[in-house]
Amino acid sequence: MGDVFSNLGMGFGVVFQMVQWTPAFLGGMSIPVPVNILLCLIGALVGTLVGVLPGIGTIATVAMLLPITFGLPPVGALIMLAGIYYGAQYGGSTTSILVNIPGEAGSVVTALDGFQMAKQGRAGPALAIAAIGSFFAGCVATVLIAVLGAPLTKLALAFGPAEYFSLMVLGLIFAVVLAKGSVLKAIAMIVFGLLLSMVGSDIETGASRMSFNIPELADGLGFATLAMGLFGFAEIIRNLDAGSQSDRQLVQQKVTGLMPTRKELKDSTPAILRGTALGSILGILPGGGAVIASFAAYTMEKKLSKHPEKFGRGVIEGVAAPESANNAAAQTSFIPLLTLGIPPNAVMALMVGAMTIHGIVPGPHVMQIQPDLVWGMIASMWVGILMLLIINLPLVGIWVRLLRVPYRLMFPSIVVFCAIGIYSVNNAPTDVMLAGAFGLLGYWLIKHDFEPAPLLLGMVLGPLMEENLRRALLISRGDWTVFATRPLSAVLMLISAALLVLTILPSLRKKRDEVFVESEN
Amino acid sequence: MSDTPSPGPVKYIMPKWIRGPQDFIGGLAMVGIAVFALWASSDLQGMRGFSFGAGTAPRMFAFLLLGLGIAITIVGLVKDGEHITTYAWRGPLFVSLAILSFAASIRPMGLIFSAFTSFMIAALGTPETKWKQTAIVAICLTTFCSLLFPYALGLPLQMWPRFMIR
Repeated sequence: MGDVFSNLGMGFGVVFQMVQWTPAFLGGMSIPVPVNILLCLIGALVGTLVGVLPGIGTIATVAMLLPITFGLPPVGALIMLAGIYYGAQYGGSTTSILVNIPGEAGSVVTALDGFQMAKQGRAGPALAIAAIGSFFAGCVATVLIAVLGAPLTKLALAFGPAEYFSLMVLGLIFAVVLAKGSVLKAIAMIVFGLLLSMVGSDIETGASRMSFNIPELADGLGFATLAMGLFGFAEIIRNLDAGSQSDRQLVQQKVTGLMPTRKELKDSTPAILRGTALGSILGILPGGGAVIASFAAYTMEKKLSKHPEKFGRGVIEGVAAPESANNAAAQTSFIPLLTLGIPPNAVMALMVGAMTIHGIVPGPHVMQIQPDLVWGMIASMWVGILMLLIINLPLVGIWVRLLRVPYRLMFPSIVVFCAIGIYSVNNAPTDVMLAGAFGLLGYWLIKHDFEPAPLLLGMVLGPLMEENLRRALLISRGDWTVFATRPLSAVLMLISAALLVLTILPSLRKKRDEVFVESEN
Repeated sequence: MSDTPSPGPVKYIMPKWIRGPQDFIGGLAMVGIAVFALWASSDLQGMRGFSFGAGTAPRMFAFLLLGLGIAITIVGLVKDGEHITTYAWRGPLFVSLAILSFAASIRPMGLIFSAFTSFMIAALGTPETKWKQTAIVAICLTTFCSLLFPYALGLPLQMWPRFMIR
């Protein structure tokens, strides 16, 4: 237990670190500046700013804003990214509540009751409860990460290549089970992602693979390029398609009175508690994360409620539970990333991408070699959520005004911003064109009901999977049974197989579909 | 693999025996991608004894995708599914053109020129554009970006056209 406190202490030490700033105009006087806090604050603000734009989800926001962290030192960049992530998530729920356009699957459920509340003139309390629930969930999740982080890292050290490979298979299977829509299509997307990750030079032999002698492809497809194309550009094209103005029913009246009533607080407290618990558990599971957590929390709340018929007509529990579950899961999904180095979902995959750009390979050793980075990030998550609570909530008026900016002016700005961002990664015009191509691919995928998120996960896990598979087989001298004979690996493989079978079974499939259909009715 | 599987001319009139055109076409495209990947990795070395060659993993994943693509196609044949929705041409076309123009002009012309032009081209993507307003926003955004990226974020970007610097 003492470890936990000293670790968290180190984390907060990093976050609150002061840097002496000696501006020329003060004549040599230096002012201490809490750089990391400022970065976290800016990140949260900018994240909300972009996340609040209708139709732009968390993944798209983080992908678009990735380039602005490139110039920073690694710790600062990751702290800022964490801020952006939370800002984006909160921005997403703001749009769902006020405009009924959820930016991503995770906030679909929030839109159900949140928008109804907004229509009844209770947008303020809905937003406030969303923030309070998120904050509470964030506090619990931070403690959970601190407590579980160190022991899980020790467990990770017992993992050999075979176990790592099996764990990644499990993670991908989880991602499939929890994805919306067809199982086959989700698996196909993952494999497509794995295939795309093979482009570039081979890790062992250095042979150039599928790069057609194009020098820009020799290092592989850039992760930021792919993410911005698939999520940034594709979303823009799709939104244009949908007739941007037609379904934007903005709540016109002013948002007044943020404070929820005593009854609303009382009603939402148990929902927040349950949501947090459920979200924390689902977040740790590989492949899980925010989306499924909010769906599950909403369904559970409806089942437990004394008045289930009121759900969907603007009950506060319908906002409190998914929002806190969402946030708890978002945060605990850092656990598999930081301890095992395996991104459990697409947003975390983006984080891995950011880390690799800064030369950090996430995994158990990062916790030992750069503990300041890991704990600093954990502490900054908490600070990020606090920032949201104290800064974003009062700024709600500004976000609402932003929502009124017509899409015809917004989308060219996003196109240009993304283009500059991609170009600045490598100063390569080819990257921009590649991202454009991926944008069209993403549009096509959406049109054919393929989800791009599993693709991104596959793309990040590809090289890791290949490396561990090769190593495992090398150690076992080509014996494929190694995955079944090593006990840990066997257990993981068994769970994956069982999960896959369960999802394909018709009865369970119906249940799974029910959870997702809930949002559409 | 920078190619995008082009959807081709989409017709509403699909043969009746294809019950889920959306899945059918989607599956076929996956098969196409897998075959393409198999062809692209055909020159790579395969297994050497029990150790993987450079081409083993790509081929493995390509075969997996091939199988999945076939499965999706079959599902599209036998199970009632969604029809193919219409593709808009205006948005994708002008957004792509804007991206292309940015990529082509950033090196020789610098940030200010390329950001402004690609904003205006992208704005063509919707019929709702009001030109005066768009131009003003384009100027504001260009100014903002040319302050944000090179100065605030310290990224090395060339601002002005090359011929003006010399």
